[in-house]
Amino acid sequence: MGNGQNILVIIPAYNEEGSVGKVVEEIHTHLPQVEVLVVSDGSTDRTSERAKVSGATVLELPFNLGIGGAMQAGYKYAYEKGYDIAIQVDADGQHDPKEIGKLLRALEEKKIDVALGSRFIGDSEYKSSVMRRIGIAIFSGVISAIVKQKITDPTSGFRAANRKAIELFASNYPQDYPEPEAVVLLHQCRLKMGEVPVGMSERYSGESSITRIRSVYYMVKVLLAIFVDCFKKPPFLRGEEERC
Amino acid sequence: MLIKVQIVVGLLSIFLLWTTFELVRKNRLREEYAILWLFSGVVVLVFSLWPEFLLSQFFARITGIFYLSAVVVITFLFLLLIVLHFSVVISKLTNQNKDLAQRYALLELEFKELSRRCFPSDRTPL
Repeated sequence: MGNGQNILVIIPAYNEEGSVGKVVEEIHTHLPQVEVLVVSDGSTDRTSERAKVSGATVLELPFNLGIGGAMQAGYKYAYEKGYDIAIQVDADGQHDPKEIGKLLRALEEKKIDVALGSRFIGDSEYKSSVMRRIGIAIFSGVISAIVKQKITDPTSGFRAANRKAIELFASNYPQDYPEPEAVVLLHQCRLKMGEVPVGMSERYSGESSITRIRSVYYMVKVLLAIFVDCFKKPPFLRGEEERC
Repeated sequence: MLIKVQIVVGLLSIFLLWTTFELVRKNRLREEYAILWLFSGVVVLVFSLWPEFLLSQFFARITGIFYLSAVVVITFLFLLLIVLHFSVVISKLTNQNKDLAQRYALLELEFKELSRRCFPSDRTPL
């Protein structure tokens, strides 16, 4: 890392004024050479101001598009500005910026296109409810079977993507349940991915978008979306004759 | 009995056709969306004028339902088709809307960057 590559950290944020500043500052402390882009997804609080004060570039969407739309806007920025590597980090502070180095190293050493941060491999202790763990186990099983590769944590939003993946995501990014669906998309487009053990901490503020009661409903919807994705036509990659 | 149903269904279809036509004429409905409505209006009108019409007979035979029910079922099928069409249109619009919002945000950022670089002394916050 740092060998002349342009690296962009993309932080999608929707009303995260309580934590976004701290996350940006931490990233700057640990990785002074990277640029930080906060995508404010139609936030109605002071998210943009906090991010600007902390030294991030802020992309302000005119209204709320959801995590997928915000993330894609970030990838479009990365693509147009010619960044070599883009890293997704959540604005709520559950992703430790110290771990970004691991993702970057994996990208380089394993020769993969996307490095997925996983809470469940290695010695990283992650506490979560039983329901949540069962849900993630089912997800992990289904997605691993589809992509023919062990994916332990498909819902993790802590990822690093190289130029090829940036290009794909800029033109094509799943909107409904972006994290697990993106894994399937990567597989369809024959991009290589690999998991990296990362530690994740408790969020600084805010609640998970998945509450316990809704988690079953959420799971069914995501599995359905993934099932549909399997039958979708893979998108064209720019500059390539065949389908990607 | 049958003639009553015929009159009601006929009036309804004429009303539907007239409304669609007026909306298109006043530019409040795009032609591409009007076609399905006009077509369903015409079909229902045909049904009310000729209850012995081939399709309604056919429908009655294969489903064992009577004339009025056949008209209702066929109208319902058309409504299903129209709703499905709208879902497709809404999906397309949502996608275009998302792309526009992203493009807008990227251009706005670019613009702010440019104006900051061109007029560094100008301290007006954008």
